[in-house]
Amino acid sequence: MKSKKILGVVILAVLIVAMAFTFNAFKEKPVEGEKNITIEVVAEDKTSTVYEVDTDAEYLLGAMEDADGLTFEGEDGPYGMSVSTVNGVRADYTLDGAYWAFFVGEEYCNYGVSQQPVEDGDSFKIVYTLAE
Amino acid sequence: MISQKGKNAAFDVALVALMVAVIEVCKFAMIGLPNISLTAFWLVLFSKHFGNKVYYVVPVFTLLEGIVFGFNLWWISYLYAWPVLVLITRIFRHNDSAVIWAVISGIFGLSFGALCAIPYIFTAVDLKSGLAYAVSWWISGIPWDITHCVGNFVLMMLLYKPLGSVMQNLQKQIKH
Repeated sequence: MKSKKILGVVILAVLIVAMAFTFNAFKEKPVEGEKNITIEVVAEDKTSTVYEVDTDAEYLLGAMEDADGLTFEGEDGPYGMSVSTVNGVRADYTLDGAYWAFFVGEEYCNYGVSQQPVEDGDSFKIVYTLAE
Repeated sequence: MISQKGKNAAFDVALVALMVAVIEVCKFAMIGLPNISLTAFWLVLFSKHFGNKVYYVVPVFTLLEGIVFGFNLWWISYLYAWPVLVLITRIFRHNDSAVIWAVISGIFGLSFGALCAIPYIFTAVDLKSGLAYAVSWWISGIPWDITHCVGNFVLMMLLYKPLGSVMQNLQKQIKH
């Protein structure tokens, strides 16, 4: 029984180390310094507003805060802010059956706004999207 | 005149309600601690000592969580994550080692982010993007999973023996 306990603890320790390694190897690394980026908001009626942003922010949330005229709201959670309202339009998955989809270039953002890194020249798109 | 069957049913309903209340009260008491809670600990203990009655605790607890915190995407993962823990506990129910339970609940804490990431696969514009998003979401939350794991492990090591014996006494009283 004692050897089973030791084996269990060892397995758990190995799993923790493996997870920590995975996190360090694959987490997005932020870029320091000034960046010029664009943020395009595509509303429910497909009208588009483009914001040219000069920012030192390392993550999209900071860049959105630096965008003149862009307003947004959301809820803070353990993984950062979850944006539910952009320019006064709410897209809540539960309440509206819709969400704000975030793209960098043509790719879907893999992180929430608090963790999505910003690089010079990035083009972000925030699109009102109906849940399928 | 209430039959014995009716009395037993009423007793079971009260017991399930009490178990859910214990989990929720502990959750609220520890809400300020990031990803550290007694939910896994109580589910393990209740599964072990009150057998099949815990199958009613999980849906009631999950429904209550939705009512209190909102039926958001994370709530969908509660529909299968907690039943997975209960199922594992039922499989290992004859084990009485605090260390083994601590390891099991630690591994569950470590896997929690991966389990909760599954619904995110279906939120993106296509399955490929959804999968990439779910994996990234899981990776970004790994520090929280490790916190969850360590919290579950330590709480189980500290509380399994003292509260386990309390549960055993309760179990005997219920049988009588």
